[in-house]
Amino acid sequence: MKEHHLQPTTAFQVTAQGHAVRTVDLWKTYPQEPEPVHAVSGVSLEIAPGEFLAMAGPSGSGKTTLLNMLGGLTRPTRGEVWIAGHELSQLSDKALARLRLESIGFVFQAYNLLPVLTALENAEFSLLLRGVPKEERRRRVTDLFRKIGMDGLEDRRPGRLSGGQQQRVAVARAVVGKPALVLADEPTANLDSHASDDLLGVMEDLNRELGTTFVFATHDPRVMDRAHRLIRLVDGAVVSDERR
Amino acid sequence: MRAMVWWRIGWRNLWRSRKRTAITAGALALGFLSATIMVGLSQGIVAQMIENGTELVTGQLQVHHVNYQPERSLYSTIGGRDGTDVEALIDLVAARPGVEAATPRVYGGGLVSSGWETNAGILMGVDLEREPQVSRMLDGLTAGRLPEPGLREVLLGSEMARKLKVEPGAELVLVAGAADGSLGNDRYTLSGVFHTGMTALDAGYAILSIETLQDLLVLDRNRIHEVAASMTAPWDAPDAAAALQMTVSRQVPDIEVEDWVSFRPDLAEYAQLAGSANWIIVMVVFVMAIFGVANTMLMATFERRHEFALIRALGSARSGIIQTVLYEGIVLGVVSLIAGAVITIPVMVWWSVSPPSLAALVGDFTMAGSLVQANLRVVLTWQTPVMSAIALFLTAILASLYPAIRSARVPPADALAGAE
Repeated sequence: MKEHHLQPTTAFQVTAQGHAVRTVDLWKTYPQEPEPVHAVSGVSLEIAPGEFLAMAGPSGSGKTTLLNMLGGLTRPTRGEVWIAGHELSQLSDKALARLRLESIGFVFQAYNLLPVLTALENAEFSLLLRGVPKEERRRRVTDLFRKIGMDGLEDRRPGRLSGGQQQRVAVARAVVGKPALVLADEPTANLDSHASDDLLGVMEDLNRELGTTFVFATHDPRVMDRAHRLIRLVDGAVVSDERR
Repeated sequence: MRAMVWWRIGWRNLWRSRKRTAITAGALALGFLSATIMVGLSQGIVAQMIENGTELVTGQLQVHHVNYQPERSLYSTIGGRDGTDVEALIDLVAARPGVEAATPRVYGGGLVSSGWETNAGILMGVDLEREPQVSRMLDGLTAGRLPEPGLREVLLGSEMARKLKVEPGAELVLVAGAADGSLGNDRYTLSGVFHTGMTALDAGYAILSIETLQDLLVLDRNRIHEVAASMTAPWDAPDAAAALQMTVSRQVPDIEVEDWVSFRPDLAEYAQLAGSANWIIVMVVFVMAIFGVANTMLMATFERRHEFALIRALGSARSGIIQTVLYEGIVLGVVSLIAGAVITIPVMVWWSVSPPSLAALVGDFTMAGSLVQANLRVVLTWQTPVMSAIALFLTAILASLYPAIRSARVPPADALAGAE
């Protein structure tokens, strides 16, 4: 069995220049008639380890496409994405999957838990893929569940959890492997304001305690308010980059 | 450990849509039942053909003088001047492992007449005590009784008796070329009538006690044309014949031992053909099943393409998704096999032990020169269910393969496309 790589947060691999994420002149173009659509147009970003960053913009501004490219889910048409010391376009599909497994956590808009697994099994899924022993997996997930207020709900399937609880499980799954980066696409879109505040609080705590880098794509003013850095996108291009 | 998670997901996914799984497993189980029963029935027909084709008259082993066949020469006998002890030869054959019983026979060709009617036929002289242990010809007595040894009595096939318009007690004249060159003829009494269902036998055979026929053909008591033997397992006959040939040749010259496969090649070829056809039947049944199961699996996996994208987005290699869909197919195969066994075993046992009569649908018929009766039974062997089980598993796995590969091609970006 392959060894599992659980590195402490402080020892995250970063780009040569000390960035958690770096993009260089990043483009994503979809060939369409009568003319191609540029979903992302020449975005260059540098995100430092431990940042709590939101990317905002109207629908179609390229937030999700940019997030896809940062997570290695979509390959850019042109440009570079550097994560954990790797330029993603140089990696094979298999290596990219390995990088996602070890260095990136995802939180999706629609919870995206596997319905046939329990809350605990969903949360430990990436650890399982990495071959982490059962005791270690259970210990980490139990600790995390306690921290995010999910203790006692470990054996429930997603169908028996509320939207807020499901999203907490998704967050636990994203951070349990101590990734260099957590990408969250509209994580509060399906939650009421109370659940949204709770979830953001959980992520802020994790960011503070574990030093995990969070990058959000969002419409939600609450997320924008709590972000330490706000990048605004319009028509696939960065129009403002505000640090708080 | 990683394989376990794919097993777990595959297993649980299978039960997400219980009705669909039950229908798919049911279809596979019915495929298992159909294939096993069809092959069992086909083997039953072949077994019946071999039994009837060999047990009715010929037996499964025959011993002749080397020159007797193919003309069935009256003069090529065992015993007589060559000094062969016929009884010792019969004992030698009967002592062979796998041989149930052996009996002597004498044959002649002749005419059977009653008044103005005459019919050509084969005159067959049998040992009335030993013959029933080797053949069932004398079992089908429909009128009268068996001939008495020492009396000039004859038993006729039902069709010949009908043509000659005679009933038991009637007087018959038999005429046959004798071994001394003369024309043997004498008057006989019809003691009884037999019916086998085989037209060739019922219309062409007249049975006498062996001594009575030896007298008509001017053959010494120690001269016979054939020793016929029955075997416990007909398919052991070729090996038994070869072994017996070696033993007999050392003691008696010019003797030929044949098994039913060589003197009934038509029957053996049909059995071989049916054996090949059986596996084609199994293949056809399960190839049809492959498409049905694959279609269901495709639908089931298409509904979950978002989950596969999620799994890939979380960092699984494509092989993980292929594994989980294949495991789902394997579990489906196991469930189907259990269901198939549960419905197949009782049906097979019942059909084997007390075969239903199909007389309302089909009467007795002959195939490859053998009688096949309307109460077809299935043959129980371990090979048929095992082969069907292997075919079922292959079906489940092959049917999962394409959906598995397709699922693994789902782009991970689809996980971000929104769901639920």
